[in-house]
Amino acid sequence: MRCSRCGAPIGNTYFKYNGALLCDNCARDLKIDEVLGRQNSLFEQLFPMPGEIASVLGTGGDLDFANTKIRCPRCGTSLRDIESGGQLGCIECYNTFNESVMKNILKRQGSSEYLGRKPGQKAEVKLTSVAETDAAGDDSSKKESASAKDAVELKKAKAEIKKEEQQKTEQETKPSDAYKSLKDADLTSIPDHEIEDGMKQAAAAEDYDLAAKLRDELRRRKEDN
Amino acid sequence: MWYEEKGQNTDVVLSTKVVINRNIKGFPFPVKMSDADRENVLGMVRQAAGPIGLNFVRTDELDDTAKQDLYERFFAGYSFLNSNAKTGFLLSKTDGLGVVINSTDHISINSMVPGSDIETAYSRATDLAVEFEKSMDIAYTDKFGFLTSQIKSVGTGMQILVTLAIPGIEKTEGAVQVLNRRAEKFDWQIIPMTQNDGLRQSGIYVLTNVATLGITEQDMLTRTQKLITDIIKLEKTCRKNICSRKKIIIEDQYYRAYATLRYCRRIESTEALTLINWLRLGQDQIDTSEADVSWSKINKLTQRVRRNYMDSNTKGVRPATKSTARAQMIRDILKGEDKE
Repeated sequence: MRCSRCGAPIGNTYFKYNGALLCDNCARDLKIDEVLGRQNSLFEQLFPMPGEIASVLGTGGDLDFANTKIRCPRCGTSLRDIESGGQLGCIECYNTFNESVMKNILKRQGSSEYLGRKPGQKAEVKLTSVAETDAAGDDSSKKESASAKDAVELKKAKAEIKKEEQQKTEQETKPSDAYKSLKDADLTSIPDHEIEDGMKQAAAAEDYDLAAKLRDELRRRKEDN
Repeated sequence: MWYEEKGQNTDVVLSTKVVINRNIKGFPFPVKMSDADRENVLGMVRQAAGPIGLNFVRTDELDDTAKQDLYERFFAGYSFLNSNAKTGFLLSKTDGLGVVINSTDHISINSMVPGSDIETAYSRATDLAVEFEKSMDIAYTDKFGFLTSQIKSVGTGMQILVTLAIPGIEKTEGAVQVLNRRAEKFDWQIIPMTQNDGLRQSGIYVLTNVATLGITEQDMLTRTQKLITDIIKLEKTCRKNICSRKKIIIEDQYYRAYATLRYCRRIESTEALTLINWLRLGQDQIDTSEADVSWSKINKLTQRVRRNYMDSNTKGVRPATKSTARAQMIRDILKGEDKE
């Protein structure tokens, strides 16, 4: 695009006046920039979103610009194929996308360590028989009247799960008492990480005197080093 | 059919399925395979299966009756059977045991048993897997274990699927949540089953493992058994509790369900499953002497209604024809003799 008045190429900002395109300088000379304002700046236009971002936002995945163009040299599978469906194209994909595969495995399974059997070796499996369920059989289930004992079982199961949850939350929220042993201990013989842990626990338990004492000890050690 | 045989705890556990996936080195996974590769894999697996005593069949050579048989035996889905994508099957003389070739992985060993006998299902599947591992170059690394096309099954390559019929738990407030938490604790999932049309299958759930890494086969099986035991206890308790508290309501529902199923002339699968659910809930809990339906009949009804080849055929067969045929099948099962 060129300016209709001076013929100079038009940069990022241009003005339209009575059908003519004007550059920034000509518009300023004719004093029409103040009238029209600078709403026609190219920077004020919306640009289309790059495909990488759009696809990631669509799937709710992590933004990972670095690897979106990597393809398996053997089968042509892309990282996007794997992240969208968890489907690999060939054995080589495990090497090509090692990092992404590992991330996916850890996210789904919580562990990446293989503990199963080796090829060609049979894993001996022994299961203890469940007397109660086995004895119940299938077709020969006894016709018993409902007993109060069984009705209570569901309540027990519910109570058990509730109790477990409570214990879990208590464990998460309640600070450990291990820091108390540091109160009267000779701090010089205790390693740094224990003092640091103790400091955090003491602070969480609002024992600020001990927390400060431990903080000072850590500072002193740093200065000595 | 294998699911009509007698099994353990079939009043709660419909079936237990163990799937072991294996791939052959030197070929891409089926999703990226060329026709030539597919033919090669079919040939190699067929050759390896010879000494094991499995019968090889190509999917593109199957007639409609054979496809229906494989579908209703839970070996493959309708679209897989009708895709003509150079796939095949290896079928064992043991009912419920077979291998699907070129599905999501090169070799998918399927072992299915009625009820909760996980040990038998596992040992049958793993025996076959070991044979293939000895005679073929199977994709395996010490780091990841057995390499599969799906990241979710890398490691042991084993998926355990337990199909449960648990109307008592479903109809008890909060019991499904209790079960979900229990399953999560063992790193398992419990998923409600749906029909082809997306509607829920009343009272039918599938319990499946999540972890295939960081766990041994022994642990997987032990966890399965513990969970199944818990579920059976919970379900039986819930059934007894419901039937003792609402005895007259359950009796009424049981006999209404029986009458509809026994004499209907047209019925949708969703309605049929809901009615079968009432039979399951009342059986052994209330007085059913006027219209007793054995567990084997209830289970056969459940599986046949859930898994019907004609239902999956969306072209050619009118819905009204399907409903009529379904009603006829249900009446025949209820009228027929028990297979003991």
